[in-house]
Amino acid sequence: MLKGKTRMLIAVAMLSSISFVLMLLAFPLPVLPAYLKVDFSDIPALIAAITMGPVAGILVAFLKNVLDWLFAGSPTGVPVGHMANFVTSILFITPVYLIYRKVTSSKGIMAGLGAGTVSMAIGMSVLNYYVFLPMYAYFLNFPMETGTALFNTIIFGILPFNLIKGILVTIVMIVLFKRMKPLLDKVTSSYMKPNTN
Amino acid sequence: MLEKMIFGRYIPGDSFIHRLDARAKLLFVFFFIMVVFIANNWITYGILLVFTFLIIKLSKIRLYFLINGLKPVVFLIIFTFLLHLFFTREGPIILDWKFIKIYEEGLKQGIFISIRFTVLVILTSILTLTTTPISITDALEILLNPLKKWKLPVHELALMMSISLRFIPTLMDETDKIMKAQMARGSDMTTGNMKERMNAIVPLLIPLFVSAFKRAEDLATAMEVRGYRGGEGRTRYRKLEWALRDTLTLLTLVVLAVILVYFRN
Repeated sequence: MLKGKTRMLIAVAMLSSISFVLMLLAFPLPVLPAYLKVDFSDIPALIAAITMGPVAGILVAFLKNVLDWLFAGSPTGVPVGHMANFVTSILFITPVYLIYRKVTSSKGIMAGLGAGTVSMAIGMSVLNYYVFLPMYAYFLNFPMETGTALFNTIIFGILPFNLIKGILVTIVMIVLFKRMKPLLDKVTSSYMKPNTN
Repeated sequence: MLEKMIFGRYIPGDSFIHRLDARAKLLFVFFFIMVVFIANNWITYGILLVFTFLIIKLSKIRLYFLINGLKPVVFLIIFTFLLHLFFTREGPIILDWKFIKIYEEGLKQGIFISIRFTVLVILTSILTLTTTPISITDALEILLNPLKKWKLPVHELALMMSISLRFIPTLMDETDKIMKAQMARGSDMTTGNMKERMNAIVPLLIPLFVSAFKRAEDLATAMEVRGYRGGEGRTRYRKLEWALRDTLTLLTLVVLAVILVYFRN
């Protein structure tokens, strides 16, 4: 067997490809602004995190955004949207990993996904207020939304969007997890066991 | 939708831009993004437009492909334009009709931003239209090489990128196949409400994950058999060669920046 690290890199690359393909199947939610799109590209990253560790999960999220940037480009030049997406994924994955590591069952994954949804919704609201929306405003040379207007955009746009996205991903992930548990355990044991090579 | 992604957006050709070293093109786009922000009046934005037009001519890419690349952002461009048109309230009023008031500064800012957008999207499109994703990855690996000093695993990241790029078409094919198989059984994942979509996605994901892990295992074995042992001392099949024209291309950017600084307000 190749060194564990290389095997992990290959698996991460494969999951990133899936993630990228899923990103193309994104769809907007009714009512909310069209630039907020839901996709299931976080699921491969979650799978990577619970089978191969947090670094693998974050790498999948990173590569998916680099790939998307290569294929789709970014209207602002500086890929603000991709950076936001990457940070969202980290905020979502990390709690899931931390909780699942302690409780390796579908209960653990449920609690983790719940915590992930909350951390993503709150984290992204804060970051959008202080970082991403001002950044967009700067690059698009928008007359910057200030104070209450910006606050409203976040409370009625970003926050519910991330909550809904988190809940949708959670539901799919739980169904998936229950059916794939045997495979995931097998993968986990093959990547986590101390490598003798 | 799935077939057309196979080579990324790369369109084979034999123009000056196609022949440029991928590293030169990447650096060019990177610095161009900064240079664009220098422009701030009619003359400088005009110069940017002319410059972009010259690059389009040099790349010999049919306008059709570039317009295609612009399509996804047209909405954003129009939206920003209108936002500036109605909400920037400086300078003399040029149109006062009922409740709509348009100010000169608003119109000007709207046009400037639209030009900036268009120019940026066209330039990045030209990069991806004239360079294969795999050469972009190679170029990134070489350009980021100095970061190895800070323990950034540049080679590993590039390896993962290459593997991902290699398997995107395969996975797209597979996604397509699974979707068709599910459709034949009466499921539909491109339309329907939230609940229907969610129900449709799980049977799509499971086979994808199972085969991805299997493929990873196969590829790991194949690489082991061929003696893969990391980036140290690796030789390359595809080589990037830096030529005089690449240096000259980067120099034109310096000239452009100097001209823009001279003419800006």
